[in-house]
Amino acid sequence: MNRPAEDVSPAALAPIRVSRAVLFWAFVRVAALTLGGGFAMAAVMRHELVHKRRWLSEDEFFSALSTATAVPGPVAVNLAFLEGRRLGGRAGAATTVLAMVLPSFLAILLIVAFVLPYLNHPQVGAFFKGCAIAVAGQIAFAACAFARRLRRTWQSGLICAAGLAVVVAGWHPVWAILLAAGLGCLICRPSPPLASDGGGREVEAEVEEIE
Amino acid sequence: MTMGTTLFQLLISFLLIAIGAYGGGLVAVPLIEHELVGHRGWLSFDQMAELVAIAQMTPGPIAVNAATFVGYRQAALAGAAVATAAVVLPSVCVLGALSGVLERLKNNARFLRVQQGLRAGVLSLLLYAAWSYGRAVVVGWTEMVLAVLAFALLVAMDRKVHPVAVILGGGLAGLILF
Repeated sequence: MNRPAEDVSPAALAPIRVSRAVLFWAFVRVAALTLGGGFAMAAVMRHELVHKRRWLSEDEFFSALSTATAVPGPVAVNLAFLEGRRLGGRAGAATTVLAMVLPSFLAILLIVAFVLPYLNHPQVGAFFKGCAIAVAGQIAFAACAFARRLRRTWQSGLICAAGLAVVVAGWHPVWAILLAAGLGCLICRPSPPLASDGGGREVEAEVEEIE
Repeated sequence: MTMGTTLFQLLISFLLIAIGAYGGGLVAVPLIEHELVGHRGWLSFDQMAELVAIAQMTPGPIAVNAATFVGYRQAALAGAAVATAAVVLPSVCVLGALSGVLERLKNNARFLRVQQGLRAGVLSLLLYAAWSYGRAVVVGWTEMVLAVLAFALLVAMDRKVHPVAVILGGGLAGLILF
């Protein structure tokens, strides 16, 4: 299942297929161990799926994260669907979405049924306050790792700044996404992302210019 | 109100929340508050604050946490199941419908330009999520130092340290500091 880092043979470029049981376990682990939503989870998923298990290249992962953010629905659920689909087809997507939601579902039921009275305990509060602060650092780290994969062009900089301006002004994030898509269509160069992921997988798609 | 009506309202509300819960992190909180506190009256302001606190202690996206929490309170297990399914449904439908299209557009030049733009836009949402999440939890110098330490550790030890270990470390530091 694991792929050596330097393997760039054509077979290695085809999507890896992973059995449903293995997928389920991998995603349940990520979902159960991660505090915070999609962006916080992205850092953990990248560690587990890209670096530890080598199921996806860094570029594939960030392209999935980008799509997961750009479509409606919680980012974590979208990300699980896209990766499950890539690694195991339709059944894989169903598996990973279930695996993503189940720990959260069970945790809330447990908390509502048993833990709610203890939530005001000062030490419980202190522990989770510390976790929440580290999660803020984790989201910043996810942003940083994502930024490193982005091509450094004036177009990217401009679009990112415009998107930030939109959300800082208090508009709904969907406007930032629509603006980015529109500007991208107008000013970005059409070549596909090419940055190597350090794992040696470099895929150059053939671009057909359709105007 | 009959059980059926409650379940239907849960379904509609959480479909709306899932579609609007865009951009990740705490961006979804005002929307959830608007729907559950303002529109439906299912939660008081205090209960909403409790929900946000619980969501930060439980795994998973806040929209999923909110669905299970509110669904359970309104209509027990059936409510929790319906509301949680409603949060997942838009993702599955939209991505299921899109995946064929995305595959076909993979080499379309205009689509690749749009994708370049989207990536930059997504970075702005990531930065904003880090900022808004940070602003909610970093209320003093101790918190600031802790957050920066967690970030620096993750960047410096990228691929070597498991992110979950850093979060647990943050929790332990919290036990000592707060």
